[in-house]
Amino acid sequence: MSSAPLLKVDNLTTHFHTSRGDVQAVRGVSFDVRPGEILGIVGESGSGKSITCLSILGLLKANGEVVEGSADFEGKLLTGLSDKQLRTIRGDDIAMIFQDPMTSLNPTLTVGEQLIETILAHKPVSRSEARKRALELFDLVKIPSAASRLDNYPHQFSGGMRQRVMIAMALTCDPKLLIADEPTTALDVTIQRQILLLLKDLQEELGMAIILITHDLGVIAEVADRILVMYGGMVMETGDVYDVFESPQHPYTTGLLHSIPDVRSHTKQRLTPIPGSPPDMLRPPEGCPFAPRCPHAIQQCLEAMPPLFERPNAKPTVHEARCWLHHEEAPKALQSIFDAPEVSNG
Amino acid sequence: MDKQPHMRDDEVLMRVRDLKKHFQVSAGFFGQNPKFLKAVDGVDLDIRRGETLGLVGESGCGKSTLARTLIRLYSPTDGVIEFNGADLAKLKEKDLAPHRRDIQMIFQDPYASLNGRMNVRDLIAEPLEIAGIGNDKSRTARVHELLEVVGLNKDHANRFPHEFSGGQRQRIGIARAIALNPQLVICDEAISALDVSIQAQVVNMLEDLQKELGLTYLFITHDLSMVKHISDRIGVMYLGKLVEIAPNNALYDDPKHPYTRALLASIPIADPVEARKDNQDQMQGEIPSPIDMPSGCRFRTRCPLATDLCAEQEPELKELADNHKVACHYAE
Repeated sequence: MSSAPLLKVDNLTTHFHTSRGDVQAVRGVSFDVRPGEILGIVGESGSGKSITCLSILGLLKANGEVVEGSADFEGKLLTGLSDKQLRTIRGDDIAMIFQDPMTSLNPTLTVGEQLIETILAHKPVSRSEARKRALELFDLVKIPSAASRLDNYPHQFSGGMRQRVMIAMALTCDPKLLIADEPTTALDVTIQRQILLLLKDLQEELGMAIILITHDLGVIAEVADRILVMYGGMVMETGDVYDVFESPQHPYTTGLLHSIPDVRSHTKQRLTPIPGSPPDMLRPPEGCPFAPRCPHAIQQCLEAMPPLFERPNAKPTVHEARCWLHHEEAPKALQSIFDAPEVSNG
Repeated sequence: MDKQPHMRDDEVLMRVRDLKKHFQVSAGFFGQNPKFLKAVDGVDLDIRRGETLGLVGESGCGKSTLARTLIRLYSPTDGVIEFNGADLAKLKEKDLAPHRRDIQMIFQDPYASLNGRMNVRDLIAEPLEIAGIGNDKSRTARVHELLEVVGLNKDHANRFPHEFSGGQRQRIGIARAIALNPQLVICDEAISALDVSIQAQVVNMLEDLQKELGLTYLFITHDLSMVKHISDRIGVMYLGKLVEIAPNNALYDDPKHPYTRALLASIPIADPVEARKDNQDQMQGEIPSPIDMPSGCRFRTRCPLATDLCAEQEPELKELADNHKVACHYAE
């Protein structure tokens, strides 16, 4: 935990300018990614998790703008770089994979051709060396009979294999950071598990850091080292993955955990959904964005934005939650909801 | 919260026998050796009145095709679908009409399945109109009533689908589906597109509706945690066949088919301690093409237990324990 962060995001704020006003997609997000760790960012649609990463990489659509804050990669400021400068960093040091690999591949070229092209664009090697490297990459992501598969077209691959191809492409330049945005959401659970274990292996083998963006707490539980829970464009809770799952310190995190049925339970219990729906980011609430849906909200929550409160003596790393109930003057009865993990299902 | 599905345990609402749906994918050379995609290839299934029967399997296993064949969106290639004394598989389109209102479907993407140019009132009244029920005024009253039932209100009646969130749109889809008091509702990935917190709202509502209206559900999903929660019994499909079917706890506690075991081992559990325990049932490889199917047992190419017998002989679905059927030569 002592090493300097690889990526440092500070007070990142991103707006989308629309005819109806500014959509405040990301509102003051700060976090670090350390070398070699897997940071899981979890949140529902509209929570700002994907936009945060697109902002860091300068991949926002034309109407999107980083209006405040910064992202710093190994001491280089990413926000404010020109497109050209960003492009070298994107290919070389930071790579990204998306949910649907089919849309990221050119259907009229063999995957080998596309992979070789990528290698040639980034490395001063000959074509035959590039092909050799492509084969190595296919082996690395465990695509069976790699040599013949290189000459296949994208449609000849299954969804899981296409995602492996995308990962191979992302690894071309040995990136220090891989950003994976819902990489397994379109896949079956059996294949999802294979891809997650592959990512975990690669992280250990190559020592790269991964930001894993997902809506699925199960995916985070499977591979992440640390977790960042986002809601309404903000970080609601962050900490070590074991620590947060064992004792969540934000009612939203607790609510999410209670919304999913426990597959190990034998007795059928009614699910506890979070009432209501997420905030309209054109006009986000003044106070805590979760307050209108929160069963424990007090007046303070509706009126003022809570800061991140640090949980005392959290191990092995900082555990923070954006909730007024952690304030020393909050009603004691409400504070105690975080003491012991509530028993949800069975 | 206890449902009592076993009250009328034996009453079968829909009896499916040897149902097949093959799609021709290539005509072959001069019409010889045409190729078929055997999406559903001999399924036997009883859906009992009042129960929720879950159906799971990877994409391409045929679960959605099966659902669409059951409501005759597809014409079956072969087999029997007994429902209310008729064989839906054999009925002509015009004779199907009276049965259509008894079987309704809720789809995955309510945005795609709701006509964006119709307002909510017209969307929900449409099935009533097609069935020739009531007049304009009584239909509007029924729409208002249905909106309340699914947790919306009558002020929503004049709005259009794009004005609603995903969860609300799915409620509109549900109101449409129950408008005609159906007996069987097929939920095809009905909650898969929704956010986690909204999924739980919709699942609770489906459970309430089932109790109030005495509905029977066929619940098709790839979400193995949710299917256990909502189902009384669960069937597992692989390459067009049912490979195992059992009451939900029996299936999860004692999965007898190696495919079921591998499937259950892949469930992402929202608990890092559990999720990172080594398990040996990690699934190898991917589902083969339903056009060139393996001989014998279809799962043998990925199965850790496969032997020569599995290549030669297709295992039958046999009852190995109470209500627990498995199609595997080596299940015990």
